[in-house]
Amino acid sequence: MDSLFAQLVVLESSLALIFGLVLLWRRGVPAYVNAFTWQSLVLAAVAATVGWFGRERELYLVAALLIAVKGIAIPRLLRRMERRFGTERELAPYVNTATSLVVAGLLVLFGGAVMRPVVAASELPTRAGMPLAMGLVLVSLFVVVSRKKALTQVIGFLMLENGIALLALLGAYGIPLIVELGVFLDALMGFLVMQIFVYRIHETFETIDVDQLDRLRH
Amino acid sequence: MTGWAIEIAQAALVLALAPGLVGVVRWLKARLQSRRGAPPWQPYYELRKLFGKDVIVSSNASWLFRLAPYVVFASTAAAACLVPSLAVTRPLDAVGDLLVLVYLLLLGTVFLSLAGLDPGSAFGGMGSSREMTVAALAEPTVALAIFALALSAGSTNLGQIVGRTLADPAAALSPGHLLAFAALFVVMLAETGRLPVDNPATHLELTMIHEAMVLEYSGRYLALIEWAAALKLLVFFALLGNLFVPWGVAAVAAPAPLALALGSLLLKLAVIAVVVAVLETRVAKLRLFRVPELLSVSFVLALLAVTSSFLGR
Repeated sequence: MDSLFAQLVVLESSLALIFGLVLLWRRGVPAYVNAFTWQSLVLAAVAATVGWFGRERELYLVAALLIAVKGIAIPRLLRRMERRFGTERELAPYVNTATSLVVAGLLVLFGGAVMRPVVAASELPTRAGMPLAMGLVLVSLFVVVSRKKALTQVIGFLMLENGIALLALLGAYGIPLIVELGVFLDALMGFLVMQIFVYRIHETFETIDVDQLDRLRH
Repeated sequence: MTGWAIEIAQAALVLALAPGLVGVVRWLKARLQSRRGAPPWQPYYELRKLFGKDVIVSSNASWLFRLAPYVVFASTAAAACLVPSLAVTRPLDAVGDLLVLVYLLLLGTVFLSLAGLDPGSAFGGMGSSREMTVAALAEPTVALAIFALALSAGSTNLGQIVGRTLADPAAALSPGHLLAFAALFVVMLAETGRLPVDNPATHLELTMIHEAMVLEYSGRYLALIEWAAALKLLVFFALLGNLFVPWGVAAVAAPAPLALALGSLLLKLAVIAVVVAVLETRVAKLRLFRVPELLSVSFVLALLAVTSSFLGR
């Protein structure tokens, strides 16, 4: 029973990580939005799995919220932004694709090394997934710093949030529901604020390339 | 004694089956593209015809050019013998493990590239340089992907990896296996020159890889190289089928399990052939400069596979 639980959790964590890697490999915004949607659904599946095997009823509610907010609402908003800015593809990021992927691989290994003591100290059947969740956090952080388009950075940030939620689910079977709700609200608000920023950037510079923000200095 | 008999039967089977497999993939592709297509056994006719033809060799070519087809064919055939396509325990298991397999395949690639450079034609040189670009990225991925399996099986011996997964069926669904499968599938496309890395159906494109290297060959040399290419495809299909989905591979050398193993091998090959044909119909060829990106994706997948089978131990 426990081994099935552990296998499922590791499988879902690796899927979440792979959807994170899509941001480094693909160039079109629709692919990013799809990857984010699928990643959120996988995250909901993790919540449901942990809820089922760990007998935590609250997590079903969390899974439902995840599907509603990150699986449906945010992707819809993202698609609306994509219709406006989608033609601006991530053609020349700060770090090229092949290097990015290798860096991502190293970051995942680094995440494994960092989480080693935590995994060793943990008794939970979910512990094997924690290094992968840490890897997702690091990879999304890398996306945020290495990509130029504001929209890609926003999606990278959302994936970072997903990674942290995954880490919480695996490391502590989720956080108290009231905190979870607060985090959801924060993420949604943060996303809306970022959306307004992206629109403003586009209005001012007629592009969402954040390189252009350098011009503000003059 | 029966062990060697099975070994010989398996080698003969693999050699005989390889051109047919290429024919089936071509035929499936043609049907999917609403063409009638040549029958699946067409490659056998082609091989027979090529073996009967005279060899024409460029006056600039050295002994290397004449030697290369034999090396390519022999190394690929040897690699094909190492793959447990019918039975788990075989006498050749003691001869080589997965590292030997990877380097046998690489040996063929290196000689083919040398032969592409040898006659001094512009196309051959271009093909060789591209092949090396691809191989340099693909070979480590093959090794890493199979290594992920070896890590959970505790041995680099291909037969033991298969036996281990047979004994513990849940391992086939572990993330390490799934990721390694995905990585090896992408590398298979690159190594055997399928779309989206190379187009096996053309002699006209400037971006061709395999066909550019063998452009100077004719007659029985060309036949050997084509046969070796078909064998390589079969080796990768059999690796994908038998290492990751080992059910059906005979654990004991008795007639009934061996017949079952033959049936399941043919089924697995057919399924992978359909997948490849559908994929080749759906995707366009990648720009040459994006090929390294695709291969680094598969490298990262293989790295993740190793990481997660290391963590999941």
